[in-house]
Amino acid sequence: MGKRVAIVGIGYSTFRTTSQDVNYREMIFDAAFKCYEDAGVKHPREIDAFVATSEDFMEGVSIADEYVPDQLGAATRPVESITGDGIQGLAAALMQVQTGQLNLVAASSFSKASNVIDYYNVVSYACDPTYIRPLKEHPYFIAGLEMMKYLHGTGTTKEQCAKVAVKNKENALDNPNAAYGSLVSVEDVLNSPMRFDPLGLLDTCGDIDGAIVLLLASEEKARELNKEPIWINGIGWGTDTPNLDSRINFGAEAQYAKLAGQKAYKMAGIKSPKNEIDFAEVDDTFTYKELQHLEALDICAPGDAGKLLEQGAFSSKGTFPVNVSGGSLGMGYSHEANGTQKVMEIVLQLRGEAGKRQLDGVKTGLAFAWRGIPTATGAAVILSKDK
Amino acid sequence: MAFRERIEKNTGNIFRSSEEGKYFPVVSRYTAGVAGQKFLEEIKENEKIFGTRCSKCEITFVPAKLYCERCFARMEKEHWVDVGTRGTLYSYTVAYEEKDGSPKETPSIIGAIKLGDGLLFHWIKESSADDLEIGMEVDAVFKPKGERRGSLVDIDYFKPKK
Repeated sequence: MGKRVAIVGIGYSTFRTTSQDVNYREMIFDAAFKCYEDAGVKHPREIDAFVATSEDFMEGVSIADEYVPDQLGAATRPVESITGDGIQGLAAALMQVQTGQLNLVAASSFSKASNVIDYYNVVSYACDPTYIRPLKEHPYFIAGLEMMKYLHGTGTTKEQCAKVAVKNKENALDNPNAAYGSLVSVEDVLNSPMRFDPLGLLDTCGDIDGAIVLLLASEEKARELNKEPIWINGIGWGTDTPNLDSRINFGAEAQYAKLAGQKAYKMAGIKSPKNEIDFAEVDDTFTYKELQHLEALDICAPGDAGKLLEQGAFSSKGTFPVNVSGGSLGMGYSHEANGTQKVMEIVLQLRGEAGKRQLDGVKTGLAFAWRGIPTATGAAVILSKDK
Repeated sequence: MAFRERIEKNTGNIFRSSEEGKYFPVVSRYTAGVAGQKFLEEIKENEKIFGTRCSKCEITFVPAKLYCERCFARMEKEHWVDVGTRGTLYSYTVAYEEKDGSPKETPSIIGAIKLGDGLLFHWIKESSADDLEIGMEVDAVFKPKGERRGSLVDIDYFKPKK
């Protein structure tokens, strides 16, 4: 276990399905400004280094890391870019603080999905050129295959998956940052247009634009600043293999989530996740993914997530609330900010700033994100507060 | 359903800095690799599907790979395994959307077909989705020799064993 590091500031832009007025750098500027103010940092000069998360093709420019510094107040300053999920960026920032050389490090991530007109081509281009792309199919067929295998292997039902969408979209109604809150029934989800059987339209997320900036501090610095420190107790990330053909139990289980969870739990000293963690924000890019991820993260046994969901265990008033924010199904999918969006909810909950959806007495939370089709990469982080 | 309207993307009025810079005109060349070359040639020339076996991990990789991704061993010439053209259906899905998200005129069935210890992702034809079951046996149907170009789609599709 290295030096203790805390999240001491958080800022985010307005989340919305389209944002024709601001460009992505202005969105990040907005989030960064709010983050620094939240932490009580008067000027980005006080921050030692900056980490930006981004992904190929999502900015519409190449060598996108050159376009990072100015919006963070980081021109002429040390900047690093991470290609991956926001939690992987958070891990890079954490390690910088843990060197002992830096006291304050900012981490940004964003989504400007509404500007990516051919997103399906971006995802398709991520698929293997020799063994997947020749089919010229929409790459989400991979999710259809995974879901079919998961249902078949675990006995989980389509109805149980539908209930994930029902829960998360309803949760989102209590979240002012959520764009896809609504009251839908299980029948609405089951009857929504089929995309990649058994995956229907309402099993999938809509996109969202938005930026999130986090500020990390060493323990000493955290005690000096405005906000109650939210400690990063454990963090981990893992990749199975890029090859769909050789993944361990492809579809039936999420190996990457197991790897990421185990690493984060070990670092946080957690032996029994469901007893030592109070609530979680867990990737729900597709309905079945929430259930599959909960099982891989050892919150419950394989095949039990659907049943526990039906019993209300994962509802906001349940024994282990999952995606109180509304998750990606309710808030919208924020691409590389997917994990950061989940971290943001954990921070707001632990600070007691979650408004109508505030959970009582929560002290430790888990955020987990998957990097989406066609990847087998996930990242997990455990956050807690002092008392 | 009102919420569906919010899922729609508003892309009609996007302000483009210049039509000139709108596209990313880069074309790539892909090398199938040592293992990929043999794998595709065997399909093209001999209607055979080959994997490579790591004797230490006891895994037969399909499509064939040059190295074992579990133990990092190089799988040399003697590790090539003809896995046959009959596999089992590991999973399947019915795709209702074209690659660009528009509705398909005729939905296609896509299967993950287990051959050796690996998977091939390919279309399933000559069957309705209702008649498919995970675990059933499926056979590769090859394109006529003259139409084969050294590609995954030299296999035309898979069909349930008769």
